[in-house]
Amino acid sequence: MSDIIVRVVTRLMIPYLQLYGLYIILYGHNSPGGGFAGGTVIASSLILYVLAFGIDDEDLRLSPSVARIIESCGALAYVGIGLGGILLGANFLSNKAAGFPLGIPGRVFSGGTIVLLTVSIGLKVASTMITLFVNIAEKEGEEES
Amino acid sequence: MITAHIMPLTILLPLVGAYLILLVGSKYRLFARNAALAITGATFAMVCYITYLVSSHGKMSYYLGGWAPPLGIELRADPITAFLLLTFASVSFFVVLFAYDILPGEIKGKVVTRYYALYLVLLGSLLGIVLSNDFFNIYVFLEISSIAAAALVAVNGDKLAMEASIKYLVMSTLGSGTVLMGIAGLYMVTGYLNLDFLAGALPQAYANYPLTVSMTLGMLTVGIAVKAALFPLHVWLPDAHGSAPTSSSAILSGLVVKVYIAVLLKLLYRVFPLDFLAAMPLQGSLLVMATLGIFIGSIMAIRQRDIKKMLAYSTVAQIGYVFLGIGLFSEKAMVGAIYHVFSHAVMKSMLFLSAGLLIKYSGKRTIEDLSGLGRIYPIPMVAFSVGALSMVGIPPLAGFMSKWYLGWGALEANQLPFLLVLLVSSLLNGFYYLPIVIGGFFKPAAVAIKEEKIPLGAQISLLVLIAATFFFGLFSNIPVNFLTPTVQGIFNAFGGGI
Repeated sequence: MSDIIVRVVTRLMIPYLQLYGLYIILYGHNSPGGGFAGGTVIASSLILYVLAFGIDDEDLRLSPSVARIIESCGALAYVGIGLGGILLGANFLSNKAAGFPLGIPGRVFSGGTIVLLTVSIGLKVASTMITLFVNIAEKEGEEES
Repeated sequence: MITAHIMPLTILLPLVGAYLILLVGSKYRLFARNAALAITGATFAMVCYITYLVSSHGKMSYYLGGWAPPLGIELRADPITAFLLLTFASVSFFVVLFAYDILPGEIKGKVVTRYYALYLVLLGSLLGIVLSNDFFNIYVFLEISSIAAAALVAVNGDKLAMEASIKYLVMSTLGSGTVLMGIAGLYMVTGYLNLDFLAGALPQAYANYPLTVSMTLGMLTVGIAVKAALFPLHVWLPDAHGSAPTSSSAILSGLVVKVYIAVLLKLLYRVFPLDFLAAMPLQGSLLVMATLGIFIGSIMAIRQRDIKKMLAYSTVAQIGYVFLGIGLFSEKAMVGAIYHVFSHAVMKSMLFLSAGLLIKYSGKRTIEDLSGLGRIYPIPMVAFSVGALSMVGIPPLAGFMSKWYLGWGALEANQLPFLLVLLVSSLLNGFYYLPIVIGGFFKPAAVAIKEEKIPLGAQISLLVLIAATFFFGLFSNIPVNFLTPTVQGIFNAFGGGI
C-alpha cells in the first residue's frame, strides 16, 4: 500500500487518536469510558498504522512480542492492585475500605485505585487487540506466500 | 489472612498463573508444565481447605471490595459448591499430571506454553462459576470458559479440530447469548443480580410480570442446555470432544460440560420459587430431553468406530443422567445427580486419558485396532476397563453408586419408568464399552504395537483415578453425608419437593 494521502492523513491522525484513547482511560472514573473503551481506541490507532504502512514497517514501535508482555503485565497489575486491598487488611479489590485516598471527586487523580485499574485494563485491552490483529494479519500473509 | 480470603485467592491463583506462564514460559519451555503442575496442585490444596472450612463452619461468603450485596459481588461456598470445586480441582490436577510428559508429543512445541495458560484460565473460570453468587459474574466466567474451551479444542490447528472448534464456539456463544438475555430479563423485573436477592424479589416480580419471568426461565434453561449438551442441543459435543488433544478431551468432557449444570442447580434450587417452577412445563421437558439424550447418546455411541467419538457420545448420554436427576425434583435424585457429576468427571477423564495412551501406542483410533493392547500396556487398559465397568454401573464402582441414588430418587419421586430408563441404558452402555474391554485383553493384537515405557506421571494419574473410582464406589457415604444436609435443606425450604 503506497497511497500518499492515506499515509499523510494517518500520520496526522495517530497522535490525536492516541491522546483521545489516553483521555478516555484516565477519565474512566469521572466520565463515560474507561479501560476497555480507551484501550480499544489506542489499539485502533496502531491498527490504522499497520494498515497504512504495512506490517513489516520498521518504525512500528510496538512489536508483537512486547505487546504480549504488556498484555500479561496489564492483567497481573490488575490482580496486584486487587491483592493490595488484601495486604492492607481489607477484602480483595477494596478501595476506600483498604485506605486508598479518594481525592477530590472530578479530578484525574481521584477515586483511589480505580484510575490504576482502568490504566491496567487499558494496557491489557490495547495490547490484546494489537496481538490479535497482528496474529491474524501474519496468518493471512503466510497463506498467501 | 489466607483463611479469610481463600475464595477469591482460589479463583485468582490459576488466572495469575496463566499470565505468569505466558510471561515467563516463552523464554523457558520447560517452565510451563512445571508451573501448571504446581499451580493446579496448589489450587487443589486450597479447594481442599475450602471444603474443610465449609464442613467445619458451614457456609462462607465473601464480598469483593468489601461491598455487601446487592451492590457488590458475592462469592459463596456451601457443601454442594465445595463438592463441585473439589471435583474440578482434583480432576484438572490429575489431567495436568498425566499430560506432563505426554502433551509435548501431542501438540506442536511452540503452543505448549499457551496451551497450559489456556488450561489454567479455563480452570480459574470453572472455579469462578461455581463460587460466584452473582449472576453477571457467573456470565462473565461462562464466557471465559467457553472461549478457553474452544481454544483448547483447536490448539493443534488441524482441520477437523478447527471445524469442531468453530462449531463449538458458535453454539456456545448462542448459549451464552441466551443466558445473557435471561439474566437481563431477571435484572429488568427485579433490579438485582445477586442470587439471594433475586430469590427474594422473584415472587413479587412473577406476580407483576408473569410472562417475562417465564421467558427468562426458558432462556436460561435453554442457554445452559446448549452449553451442557443436553439432547437435542448436543450436536457440537461429539466433534469437539472427539477431535481435541487427549488432555483437552478429558477436561472438556469431564469438567466443562458439568459446570453449566452447577449454574442450573443454582438457578432451580436457589433462585426460582417452587410454585413458579411447578407451574412451568420444566420438569416434564427436562425429563423427556434427558431420557432421549440417554438413549440416543448411547445408540449413537454404539454406532461409532472411532473410540474418542464413542466416548464423546457417551458423554451426551451421561449428561442425560445428570439432567434426569435434576428433573426428578427429589432429594435422593439430586444427591445422585451431584454425585454423578463427580463420578462421571473421574470416569470420563480416566477413559479419555487411557484411550489417548492406547491411541498413541497403537497409532489407530478405531475400536477394532485397540484389541490386544491390554497385554502390552496393562495400566491404560485396566484404567479403561475400570472406567467402562463403572460407566455400565457395576458395583462396587463409583458409577454404580450414582445410578443407585438416581434410581432411588426415581422411586422416591414415584416415577417408576425412569428406573427402567436407568436399567435399559446400563445395558446399552454395556453394548459399546464391553467389546473394547474384552478385545483389549483377550483378542490378539490387530496392529503392530510400539512398545514404549509409559511416562511416570501418566501412570500415577491413571492409578489414582482407578483408586478413586473404587474408593468412591465403596465409601460413597462420605460425600453423600456431606451433601445430604444441604440438599435436604433445599427440599425442606420447598416443602418437600414438587
